[in-house]
Amino acid sequence: MAVPLISTAAVGHEFGPYDVSIPTERANAYAKAVGGAESPDYGDSLAPIMVVAAALTELIEDLGLFSGGLQTIHAGQEVSWARPVKIGEKVDAIGRLTANSVRRGNHFATVSVSYKDSTGSEIGTSSTTIIVSGEES
Amino acid sequence: MTTNNSHRSAGDVLAGFERQITQDRVDAYGEASGDHNPIHLNEEYASTTQFGTRIAHGMLSLALVTEMLASEFPDTWHDGGKLKVRFSAPVFPGEIVTTYGEITGISEEDGKIIATCTIGCKKTDGTDAVSGRATVALE
Repeated sequence: MAVPLISTAAVGHEFGPYDVSIPTERANAYAKAVGGAESPDYGDSLAPIMVVAAALTELIEDLGLFSGGLQTIHAGQEVSWARPVKIGEKVDAIGRLTANSVRRGNHFATVSVSYKDSTGSEIGTSSTTIIVSGEES
Repeated sequence: MTTNNSHRSAGDVLAGFERQITQDRVDAYGEASGDHNPIHLNEEYASTTQFGTRIAHGMLSLALVTEMLASEFPDTWHDGGKLKVRFSAPVFPGEIVTTYGEITGISEEDGKIIATCTIGCKKTDGTDAVSGRATVALE
């Protein structure tokens, strides 16, 4: 089995850019997953947390965490957002590994992400902390 | 339509809600996020993990918390809102979670009135699935 990137990536390693534009079908799936009578009316916009989730999926894949035998726990999440995002709007995400340590055989990694629109303006940031077990370091 | 939140003050409780996290919701969240990790979707695989069964995506629970924030602060949550949370316990398909929040402080930053809130969602046994803090402008 290939060594997952989380075992070798140094702090400062960059990920992406990922195209995390959310098409209508995925926005509809989000509404089905999350929605209810109390849900706000987003109109033609979407919940920014969905963009963060899309980027997180890309990051986890690039870190090699979908490999068999690894167990990943999503331990913490930070998000800040500057403006609403439209369904289908072009958004790019660039990640950067800001921490990666091993304690008691578990990896603790933090990836910070910047989200930019088609003009290059930053419209949001996030930081994800994960714990990975089940891997020989 | 705009919502005036300028009257809000420390101690105000946010309107939480209950949601049953069905496997259908977990499956739909997998489609929405692109996260098809078998720990969320494949019972046979999940039974071999430390949880012994499928678990919901942590981000699905967090999404419910942000639904509450977007409902409470519809004009400002997506325009400068921030959150920081930890995921404390897994949510298993079929479980019911309840979102909660409370304004714990009001301050002024860069000419804006900002509310700081405790936020999260709890399982029916009272344990937090998600807990943390959010800041959001009131107008």
